[in-house]
Amino acid sequence: MAASPAVRIAACETITGFGDTAETLAALLAGRSALRPVPVLGPDGGDLVPMALIPGRSLDETSPPNWLPYLVALVATIPGDNWGQPRRPVIFTSSNFGVGSLYAYKTTGETAHLAYGTPRGCLTFLVKQLGLGPNVTTFSHACVSAHLGLIHAGRLLDAGLADDVLIISFDFLSPFVSGGFHALKILNAEFPSPYQKRPAGSIGLGDGAAFAVLTRDRGDFAIAAQALHNEMHLFTANRADGTGFAACLENLNISGGGRRLWLKGHGTGTLEAGLLEARALTERFPHSPLVSWKGGLGHTLGSCGLVELAIAIAAIRQGRAPGTVGSQPEGIVPEVAFDAFDTSAFDGVLCTSNAFGGAHAALLLTHA
Amino acid sequence: MLELHLTALHLEDAHHEDPAATRDRLRDHYPKGATRRMTQLGLLVGSTLNPLNPGQDDTLIYASGYAETRALEGFLDSFPGASPTLFQTSIHPSAVQQTLIGRQQPVHAFFPLTGGARLVEQAITAALLAPTSRVILCGGEERGTWMLEHGIASDRTFAFACALSTSPVGAIARLTLAPKSQDAPLDPGLSLGEFFDHLRQHQPFSFTTASGRQLSLVWS
Repeated sequence: MAASPAVRIAACETITGFGDTAETLAALLAGRSALRPVPVLGPDGGDLVPMALIPGRSLDETSPPNWLPYLVALVATIPGDNWGQPRRPVIFTSSNFGVGSLYAYKTTGETAHLAYGTPRGCLTFLVKQLGLGPNVTTFSHACVSAHLGLIHAGRLLDAGLADDVLIISFDFLSPFVSGGFHALKILNAEFPSPYQKRPAGSIGLGDGAAFAVLTRDRGDFAIAAQALHNEMHLFTANRADGTGFAACLENLNISGGGRRLWLKGHGTGTLEAGLLEARALTERFPHSPLVSWKGGLGHTLGSCGLVELAIAIAAIRQGRAPGTVGSQPEGIVPEVAFDAFDTSAFDGVLCTSNAFGGAHAALLLTHA
Repeated sequence: MLELHLTALHLEDAHHEDPAATRDRLRDHYPKGATRRMTQLGLLVGSTLNPLNPGQDDTLIYASGYAETRALEGFLDSFPGASPTLFQTSIHPSAVQQTLIGRQQPVHAFFPLTGGARLVEQAITAALLAPTSRVILCGGEERGTWMLEHGIASDRTFAFACALSTSPVGAIARLTLAPKSQDAPLDPGLSLGEFFDHLRQHQPFSFTTASGRQLSLVWS
């Protein structure tokens, strides 16, 4: 069951711990990582953990949030206007919105932070700050959030409810988030090495924001297929037999036969999930090179699906895809690509994301 | 015009009920020991969702403006020794996941929404656009404590779950999203609590959405 009809991408850009899309792609192609050791609770200290903050931003919480200027600057590059009007809906996706502001309130007692702390408050503030109309939908499903926005956009276009759809996805780190992942013991002093054979897994976290303008008939790239699957087996682990990953790929309703794909996996750096994902992807699409970029970007949480889509588009335009930054041989499957490679031999890239609850999302990016 | 038929409806109006009282009241709805880690919203959403027996091929739409407020408050209170359990349960859409993980019930398409003024119409629009023959639309809120004192949490506790079908057989109501003049003035719409009250009282509604269309609920 494919989740969404094919749509075209008229524009798609990102900001990450490296900077804008071009800066991010250049850094990843050079094999660089934006992850740095940062105290897990920012100014309140704690263990040093790998985080990739947008250049110039600290983990301090301010009022308004210190990530706002970066999001405003990204939004200023979105082509077109009248976003949020009846025929030009906006879809926001995020996992955390401005929840760091609640942590700031709890630690400082300053009530000014509270206005941005809930999704509702954060969105009300953003819609006003960004000058958007009222036609705004918001999805939040942890680290597959961005994919839901892309699927819903396709459905709006297919049903004739929109001429163009703007998806904005963002997640900026805060002690709330880093403290939570640290408590789960998967964010620690180790830097992530996605898909690398090693004794213990770990992740890094990163700031990320991105947008895409989807249309029926403009743009040189298309999302040819999208799919979802939710295992609902455990909160923080997947079925050990990997069937959840396979079910999502099955729902894409595409086969590798005749297509030459490369694979941009979720690949946070955890061992078990990384192995299940890598096996499922390479069994379905054997001999396709598999990469993860979270060893360079960190895991940008709810925005990762759109952030990494923007990078994939830029990579195909340039003809070179970054390898699995932060990792080195031996890989957990032979298909792991550690170094950058030429994309001209491929017809498209399959991009996947995963989330709590055994949530899986996948999309196929091709030339239009 | 897009339409779906409401074929089953389950509601929980807990209003100001204490979470411990909700846990006691609904204990028999869940396997032994399962309620201990469930949130109040999770218990209530589960109580409305379970009778509909969600299946893998249903589309599941979930709407909550504030979601797991109590877990969020508790997680914030747990710093600097952050609680992993409260972190996990504070993340949207934990209420539905608590229920479906308890049932070990996978579902392909799950669309959790959040937001404010237009949340109801956007959740219903997502339901109307789903390609499956059955859609389950569920949602709810739980009453906050210190966040409510600051006006950033729900002041009441409730949950609902509706089975929506492409077939009119056995329908008790009909949801439609119909074209309208693009210049039609925008109506205020319904809050999630108001939508719940319309479901509870079997009251119809009709208003102009931000998409410039007319969203209507008509009872049979």
